[in-house]
Amino acid sequence: MPDLALQRPGLSRERRDALLGLLLIAPTVLVLGAVIVYPLLSAIALSFQSVYTPTLEGHWVGLANYRELLGAGGFWAALLTTAIWTAGTLTLQILIGVAMALLLHQNILFRSLARSLVLFPYFLSTVVAVLVWRWLFNDLYGIVNHALMAAGVIDAPVNWLGAMPNAMLSIMVVGAWKFFPFVVIAVLARLQTIPEALYEAARIDGAGPISRFFDVTLPQLRDVLTIVILLRTVWDFKEFDLIYLMTGGGPVNGTRTLPLIVYQQAFGLNQMGMAAAYAVSMMLVMLVFMLAYLQRARKAAA
Amino acid sequence: MVQVVFEKVSKAYGDTVAIPGLDLVIESGEFVSLLGPSGCGKSTTLRMLAGLEQPSSGSIRIGDRDVVNLAPAARDIAMVFQSYALYPHMTVAENICYPLKKRGVAKADRAIKLAEVAALLQLEPLLARKPGQLSGGQQQRVALGRALVREPSVFLLDEPLSNLDASLRAHMRAELIELHRRLGKTMVYVTHDQLEAMTMSSRIAVMRAGELQQFAPPDEIYNRPANVFVAGFIGTPAMALADGSLADGGGHLVVHVGSLAVALPFAANGVRPDAVTVGIRPEDVLVGEGPWQAQVRLVEPTGYETIVALDADGLALTARVPGSNALRVGETVAFDLRRERIHLFDKSDGRRWEPAGR
Repeated sequence: MPDLALQRPGLSRERRDALLGLLLIAPTVLVLGAVIVYPLLSAIALSFQSVYTPTLEGHWVGLANYRELLGAGGFWAALLTTAIWTAGTLTLQILIGVAMALLLHQNILFRSLARSLVLFPYFLSTVVAVLVWRWLFNDLYGIVNHALMAAGVIDAPVNWLGAMPNAMLSIMVVGAWKFFPFVVIAVLARLQTIPEALYEAARIDGAGPISRFFDVTLPQLRDVLTIVILLRTVWDFKEFDLIYLMTGGGPVNGTRTLPLIVYQQAFGLNQMGMAAAYAVSMMLVMLVFMLAYLQRARKAAA
Repeated sequence: MVQVVFEKVSKAYGDTVAIPGLDLVIESGEFVSLLGPSGCGKSTTLRMLAGLEQPSSGSIRIGDRDVVNLAPAARDIAMVFQSYALYPHMTVAENICYPLKKRGVAKADRAIKLAEVAALLQLEPLLARKPGQLSGGQQQRVALGRALVREPSVFLLDEPLSNLDASLRAHMRAELIELHRRLGKTMVYVTHDQLEAMTMSSRIAVMRAGELQQFAPPDEIYNRPANVFVAGFIGTPAMALADGSLADGGGHLVVHVGSLAVALPFAANGVRPDAVTVGIRPEDVLVGEGPWQAQVRLVEPTGYETIVALDADGLALTARVPGSNALRVGETVAFDLRRERIHLFDKSDGRRWEPAGR
């Protein structure tokens, strides 16, 4: 590289290293700028405008979108719905995920097969999963009603997706089914690194199976569960396709979470600026979790 | 008084027999080491005593109780693990008190016990720390503390020093000896390090492939190894072992090994095996003068002594020579043997054979 400026005599070694460093991170900075920073700033700029989606033409309205959003009440209701959905489905995911991980950690028959099969929901396309679940939940010919009636739990078919709170419970269950394998993978990996000697020491110290779970297993899972909960909170919070396809936000607005409003504003009402305002508000809420996650990750790395 | 008795204890994993049948009686207050190479069954033996493994057959008694069907916690034992197995999220104090807590000891009593143990092991300044903030030696002491606090009748130690560096290991050896002297409790110690076994034990159980080879005090293990395996396993550098035969040399026993004919100071009367394995410890080879010649193969100075590998006409011997010296590889030296200390083993079964009069 005879013509490279870096080779020029007269540059001190420190300056050469600094220039080389800039050169090396430049591609990353450019790519990140193009695919993350620019769209983000555009979205923020959009949220201060009134934009008609089909033409993408509009004008500056300042904080009018935010004023409308915060004043209308729809935002707060949707935020609450989103929080309920996130808390509910996440709790189920964690409980089922940890229980399944503990089960798959045992020496059960066909363990490797079970470990592969448990990942199935996570890899299944949401559209396919939702079609199947809607069929299962169908109030006329769904197997859920059929089974519950056969077992004598209910007398008449239940409207699982068309009434509240059933619809919310149903999407929580489907969300838990779809995403619990993520928890299983993370927890199972951690379980396998807990030294067997800790359990043996606990047995000698007089700890029964329940004590061993709470005094050995759970403390060891704390870090991985914190990370899993933070990540899944963010992902569930912005979950769109599963809810949109299951209930479309209904009945009425019963399961209308914030991402559904964003979609509705942008493509139903053709209000791109308003949609951007909702999206930016959502981002601010999620930022809290992101910061918590980053702090955790930094602490774990230290 | 708490005796530990293994009676016809066997352990098999599927078709693999780890321990075919072990009989061992550990007296009350003894410090017994289970010593042997990896896979000899010493850890399995200890784990069966702890209740972490179930024997396939046989009985294990601690005191007058058969403990085979008792849970580990009910056996009145405490164990120190190679990895220490401290609970990482608990402080030192919580770790030490955990066995008491699980047994429902009142908080005030736990505090008293903790103070006693902490004082004994000099852990007072560390009580509020987590195991991750401690050095290996400190973690080791916490693990000991957790074992001590319950005042069990038997202590089980599974290679507790092997994760420490050499100088700390020497220090902890001394501490363990002192601890055993003060507590007077039965201790069963698993190790593959013969130095640990030799320095600490009242008796050593040498094991190989699940079978007890010899169970005796350290000096007897060293000076009168029961068979060829123990002879070769104990002692660093190892005893030279070679095939030989015995003959009557005018009333004296003569051992022929390699091209040497060594007259032993024992009478040649009585029955003697046809073929023997002859064992000669390095310190019993006297380099300098003597009736035989050998070539120097290797010289390893260690400072206070030099290990010299010799070739006496095809017979490989090792000698310890005091201090550093001017021996050179390839040089021919004269040597003698401490004849009364030569070990003889019957070649047919490997067992020690004693000439009459020793």
